[in-house]
Amino acid sequence: MYQYSEQDHQLLLERVAQFRGQVERRVKGELSEEEFKHQRLRNGLYLQLHAYMLRVAIPYGLLSSDQMRTLAHIARKYDKGYGHFSTRQNIQYNWPKLEDVPDILDDLAKVEMHAIQTSGNCIRNTTSDPLAGVARDEIEDPRPYCELIRQWSTFHPEFNFLPRKFKIAVSGATQDRAAVAVHDIGLRLVRNDTGETGFEVHVGGGLGRTPMIGKVIRPFLPKQHMLTYLEAILRVYNMLGRRDNIYKARIKILVHETGEDNFREMVEAEWEKIKKGGLHLRDEDFEWIKKFFLDPEYEELSDRDGEFENLLLTNAEFARWVDKNIELHKQPGYRIVYLSLKTAHQPPGDVTADQMDAIADLADKYSLGQIRSTHRQNLVLSDVRLKDLPALWGELKALDLATPNYNHVTDIISCPGLDYCALATARSIPISQAITQRFDDYDFVNDLGDVSINISGCINACGHHHVANIGILGVNKKGVEVYQMTLGGSAREDAAIGKIIGPAFEADEIVDAVSDVLSVYLENREDPEETFLMTYRRLGDAPFKERLYG
Amino acid sequence: MALQVYTASLLKEGLVAYLCLENGRPSWTFDISQATAGHDEELDALKLAAERSEQDNIVVAPYAIEVLETDSGIMATTKREQIRASGPTITLPQDKIRESRRAA
Amino acid sequence: MDNYIKDRKIEADEWMPFTGLEDGSSLPSGDIYVPLEEWMQAREMLLARNGRLGVALRNTDDPGIIKDDLERLDLIVLEFPKMADGRAFSQARILRERYGFQGEIRATGDVLHDQLFYMQRCGINGYELRADQNPANSLKAFDEMTVTYQPAADEEFPIWRREPKSI
Ligand code: SF4
Repeated sequence: MYQYSEQDHQLLLERVAQFRGQVERRVKGELSEEEFKHQRLRNGLYLQLHAYMLRVAIPYGLLSSDQMRTLAHIARKYDKGYGHFSTRQNIQYNWPKLEDVPDILDDLAKVEMHAIQTSGNCIRNTTSDPLAGVARDEIEDPRPYCELIRQWSTFHPEFNFLPRKFKIAVSGATQDRAAVAVHDIGLRLVRNDTGETGFEVHVGGGLGRTPMIGKVIRPFLPKQHMLTYLEAILRVYNMLGRRDNIYKARIKILVHETGEDNFREMVEAEWEKIKKGGLHLRDEDFEWIKKFFLDPEYEELSDRDGEFENLLLTNAEFARWVDKNIELHKQPGYRIVYLSLKTAHQPPGDVTADQMDAIADLADKYSLGQIRSTHRQNLVLSDVRLKDLPALWGELKALDLATPNYNHVTDIISCPGLDYCALATARSIPISQAITQRFDDYDFVNDLGDVSINISGCINACGHHHVANIGILGVNKKGVEVYQMTLGGSAREDAAIGKIIGPAFEADEIVDAVSDVLSVYLENREDPEETFLMTYRRLGDAPFKERLYG
Repeated sequence: MALQVYTASLLKEGLVAYLCLENGRPSWTFDISQATAGHDEELDALKLAAERSEQDNIVVAPYAIEVLETDSGIMATTKREQIRASGPTITLPQDKIRESRRAA
Repeated sequence: MDNYIKDRKIEADEWMPFTGLEDGSSLPSGDIYVPLEEWMQAREMLLARNGRLGVALRNTDDPGIIKDDLERLDLIVLEFPKMADGRAFSQARILRERYGFQGEIRATGDVLHDQLFYMQRCGINGYELRADQNPANSLKAFDEMTVTYQPAADEEFPIWRREPKSI
C-alpha cells in the first residue's frame, strides 16, 4: 500500500487548515454560500436532504485496518454510528455537522485519508479493480498507476474548475471489475504483440441523463505516456467542454458532438506538444511507485486443506458461502473473500461502526491487515488463507456479513435515493429491501445465477441502473414515486446500456415486475449455464414485455 | 394560494428547520408542526424573515413549501418534504451493543 | 481601495483597458490593453504608439493566435467570468509554458481568494480581485499550500522527480 511521505502528510495538514479557515469565513459570513459551496464540494461536503453529507476518498478502494478503525471512530463520534460505501469505492457519512468537519478531516489525516476532490467539477477519486494484485486474470497490477494518477490529479491547478466532474477508472485484468467503459476515462491494461504492457484508452463513457459507453480512442498507449496523455485529454476537455448547459457538460457529450475521430485528433495534437514534458514517466518512476505495491510475503501453502474440505462436505451453509463469496487467488493456499453488505436488514453498502471495527480486526487476523471496497458496494478481504476460511466464516456470520449472494440477485446496488439525497425523485433503498426480502431464499438465488439489479433514485444514476441486467430508476410522476425498468445493461467487458422496457411501475408493483422478469428468464433459458443477460440478448425484449404488459 | 411554511437547512448543523415568526421575531424549529404557516400576503413577512436569517448566516437556501393543516398539526404535502420533515423512511443501521459500549 | 495584486504584492494598477479604435487619432498614451479583435485589426497602429501594450483574450480564444506577437506584448488579460469557469487556467499555462510569455498574465472577473493558489501555479501573476475581496487577506492564499504534486508553470517536474524539499 502507498505510504505517505512527509510532504504528503504536510499537504493534508495544510488542506485541513485551509478548509478550517473556509468554514470559519463561511460561518462569519465572509464567504457566501455560493462560493463556499465550490470549496466544500472540493472537500466532499454536500448539503443533503436532512443534513450535510461528507464523502471520504478511498483511493482505488484500498484501506488498511487502521484506516477502517478511524472510519468507525468517525461514524461513532461525529455521526450516527454508520457509514455508507458508495459505487465509487468511497465512504459517505450522512449526518456530520459543518463545524465538526475540520476535526473529522484532522482525524482522517492522521491515517493518511482525506475528502479531497470527492465531489465538485474536478478529477475525482480514481477507482479500480477491487481484486488488484491478487486476481488470477491480472495482466498487471493497476494500483501503481492509480497512485500516480492520484498524485497527478490532486489539486491539479489547471483542472480544478472543469465543465463537470471527471471520473477515471483503471483495470489491470482481463475481466473488467472496475466498469471502465462507463467512466470519463477508462484505462485498461493490455499487452501488445511484443508483450509490452500499455493502456487501452476509453473516453467519454458515463451514466446520468445521457448514458454512453466510452469510445476507445487509443488501442495501445505505452505506459510511459499515461500521464501526458491524460493531461492532453483533460486540457482539450477543459477548453472545449460545454459550459452552457450542465446536462451537456460531461466529456461524453464533447466526444459525441465533435465526433470520435476529431476528438482523437485534438487530443493527439495536444499530446504531441507535451509528451516529452515533465509528466513523461521513466523506468525509475515506475520502479519507485511499484515498490509500494509489492506482493506480501505469502506463505508456501498447499491449495488443499483438510478441515476446510471437511466443513465443505458437512455444512451446507458454509458450502453456500464458499460457492458464492469466495474467489480463487493467484497464490496457492489463499482465497479472496467477499464481505456482503447486502442483507435484508441494512441499506446496501451501509456498515455500522462496530462492524467496521470488527472488519478491521478480521483483516488483521486473517488478511494481512487490508480491506478493499468494491464498486458494487461490498468489501473484500483479499489474502485469506484457505485454512482460515472456516473460522473467518463463523466470525463474518456473527456480524451479518456472510450472506451468500455475491453477484447474485440480492447483491443489489442502490443509491441513497429520496431517503437521504436532495436531488432524488424517488426512494431507492426501500425498493432494494423489498426485493431482497422477496428473494431471500438461497435455492432460488442460486438457481438464478449471475444477475445484477441496480437502483437509482433519480436520473443522475448514481445507482448505475443503466448498466444493470435489471435496472430500476425511481421517478416522480405527479407526486407519486414510480419506477422505470431497463433490461440488458452490463458494466463488464461486454458493457451495454439497458433498454427501457415500458411504462413505469408503482412502488407496490415493482417487486412483482422484477419477479416476472426473472420468471421469463427461468422459463426460457436454454440451460442453467445461460445467464440472464445471455437469455435477454438471445430473445430480446419481446417475451419480457409480453409478460409485464401483455 | 395554498397554505405555506418556510424551510431551510441550518448552516452550522445542516439539519432541516422551519421558520416560526412570533410578534415579528423569527426563530427556527426542527418541528414542522411548530412552524408559522401563512397564506398570500402573510407569506411576505415570512419570506422577509427567512431571507434575513439567510443573510445572518443562520440558515442556507430557505424556500416555501405547501402544507396542510391536519388534526395532528401541520403536514407537508409532497413526499420529499414529508421525508425531510420526519427523516429517512428506513430503519437506520444500528449497533445493538453500541450503547453499552459507549457506557463502558 | 486597490484590489490589484501583482507578483504577490498589492500594487497600483497602471494599465488602462481600451476599446474603440475606429478613431485612430484618439489613441491614449500610457499602458493600454485592447481586446483581441482590435489587436488583430490595428496591430501596426497600436505598435506605433509609445507605451506598453496588452491584449485581452476571451476564455474561448486559442492563445496560439497571438503566439507570434508575444514578444511585443507586456500583458495578457484572461477572464474568469464565473468562478466555476476554469478555461483560462489552460490558456495561462499554454502562454507561459508553451510560448514562454514573459510579461504579466492577469486574471480578471471572478478572481477570488480560494483560486489564487491555482492561478499562480498556472503562470498568472496579476490579479484584479473582485471588488468584495479583501486583498490583504487574499495574499495569504498563495502560501496556504506549500506542497504541489504536478508540473505546472511553476514546476517543471512532478513531485516524484524533484529533490525532496525540507519541511
Ligand atoms: S441517483 Fe439521484 S437520488 Fe440517487 S444518489 Fe444520485 S443524485 Fe441522489
